[in-house]
Amino acid sequence: MAHLTLSNISKHFGNFSAVRDFNLEVERGEFVSFLGPSGCGKTTTLRMIAGFETPSSGKIAIDDVDITHKAPSQRNVGMVFQSYALFPNMTVAQNIGFGLRIRKEPEDAVKKRVDEMLALIHLEAKGNSYPYQLSGGQQQRVALARALAIRPQVLLLDEPLSALDAKIRVSLRAEIRAIQRELGITAIYVTHDQEEALSISDRIVVMREGEVDQIGTPFEIYNFPKTRFVASFVGTLNTALAEVVDPAQGLLNMNGSLLKIADGVNGKRKGDKVMIAIRPERLSFLSEGKKENILEGRVENITFLGAVVRIQLKIAGATFNMDTFNRPSLELPQIGDTTQATCSAKAVLMLSE
Amino acid sequence: MNISVRLRKFPFWSWLWFILGVLYFVLPLFATLEFSLGMQRDVLSLKAYQKAFADPKFWQTFGYSVFLAVMTIIVSIILIVPTAYWIRLRLPEARRIVEFITLLPFVIPAIILVFGLIRVYSTPFHIPFTNIYLGQPLTNFKFGTNILIIGGYMVLGLPYMYRSVDTGMRTVDVRTLTEAAQSLGANWFVVIARVILPNIRTALLSGSLLTFAIVVGEVVLASFLGVQAFGPYLFLLGQHRAYEPAALTFTTFLMTWAAMGIIQLVTGGQGQTAGAH
Repeated sequence: MAHLTLSNISKHFGNFSAVRDFNLEVERGEFVSFLGPSGCGKTTTLRMIAGFETPSSGKIAIDDVDITHKAPSQRNVGMVFQSYALFPNMTVAQNIGFGLRIRKEPEDAVKKRVDEMLALIHLEAKGNSYPYQLSGGQQQRVALARALAIRPQVLLLDEPLSALDAKIRVSLRAEIRAIQRELGITAIYVTHDQEEALSISDRIVVMREGEVDQIGTPFEIYNFPKTRFVASFVGTLNTALAEVVDPAQGLLNMNGSLLKIADGVNGKRKGDKVMIAIRPERLSFLSEGKKENILEGRVENITFLGAVVRIQLKIAGATFNMDTFNRPSLELPQIGDTTQATCSAKAVLMLSE
Repeated sequence: MNISVRLRKFPFWSWLWFILGVLYFVLPLFATLEFSLGMQRDVLSLKAYQKAFADPKFWQTFGYSVFLAVMTIIVSIILIVPTAYWIRLRLPEARRIVEFITLLPFVIPAIILVFGLIRVYSTPFHIPFTNIYLGQPLTNFKFGTNILIIGGYMVLGLPYMYRSVDTGMRTVDVRTLTEAAQSLGANWFVVIARVILPNIRTALLSGSLLTFAIVVGEVVLASFLGVQAFGPYLFLLGQHRAYEPAALTFTTFLMTWAAMGIIQLVTGGQGQTAGAH
């Protein structure tokens, strides 16, 4: 039995459909991210789980108990907000203990739990500080502790790192993940940052225009995107149109260049047009070792990105990026040179719209 | 640092406007103080104050006005805080209409308000379109008159109280704080009492102070509703005495400053707590 179940959830604001037919089952202790661009419905879905929005149709259940129409205060769901939302008039300890005092827990139990939470977020010395006396990262850790103090069944995080600078974002996301694993709590995390979602999640729900495009592990989402949108939203991708030449052999013609695809052409027939995709890091120079597909192209640009060098190639009329690790022995062609790139048949993906 | 650099850094115009402003406000006050101390010829004395405070009517009317002011403030907070909160949270489209309504006391004089109140509430209560009478007119008994005058004062103080509260709510992220409290199990009452009110404390005190000042000095409503309040007492005193009204006026200024001091004291160190991030 899934811990959190969202069945056929839809949400309409007047004529605007924010979320359509959303289905998801989350296991206990799982960390699931909702990933997508602004306006894709990810925050609306999260707010429906929290109870701040009521679904127009569908059902939300925790441990098979229907909570669709329960008030937010009755759900036992912890929430961490982008803007921290700490109560400015209360100290850190009072903020963390707020939910427990609402539940009328004995004062010594509240104090014990607050101390536990302060230790969990490594802010033992800040219990008597006010939120304005803390840095952004510290405030968000307090917000996390406050949400966890009530022992919620599900923890919801609404872009909790967006207001922080890049360095703190990376360290705090690792901390959030470590705490979530330590407590074994089910967590739903909303973000538009694909790197964040890939690094922190057990599973990712990629959303577009109110609908789920793909649900999968970070590995599946990155390596086997099912739609063009997922492929382009998560990581960098080379896409091009090709024509099916031999469905049985998985052979495609990309404007004169023959490509072999490992996973078959998914029922397409000879002459059908398909959209193919290849990740830049799956392409390499032919001189580094031959693979099933060989593509000839002209070097248009070379960009150093630190650990990686990105070579832009014009192949069969389409622009392809090829990423290769930067190393002292790397021999790069000149801009304008013709070079040969290669990739395996598995690196070639066929996308649906 | 040489003199020319110092002169260049000295904010001459800022100081000039500041001094002019101070003179504009302080000189009349100083004149009132000086006049109030001149009851005895050629000697500065507190005799006017002694005489004013010795009058039992002063304490009676002042006490009554303070009571009316406190009641007005309480009723205003009970009505305005949830209204402003709900508009900010759920009905932002109603904000313009409510703001317009709150400005009406500026364009409708108190005299119109009091005649309207007397016109409507000086007839016995009855169920509309019937001849069934439910009670005495409100103007006929003290409690009813108190209700009318507190209602009237609430209207007069509405622009100040509503704007103070609304501005206070603008400085905190009301929506997110509400949702955060709700997700932790708080009901609406707890959200308002323990999260919203403490975070708009400064705004509430400012609105209350303004309401207090309006009520204590108000003449028109109190005179026409026939209540023994401080405003009409001061007005009548000024008709046949010279020094005592000046002494009482200065005293009310002192009280206003004391109230401002209390605000500073109560809200000290809380300035930065407003705002959720």
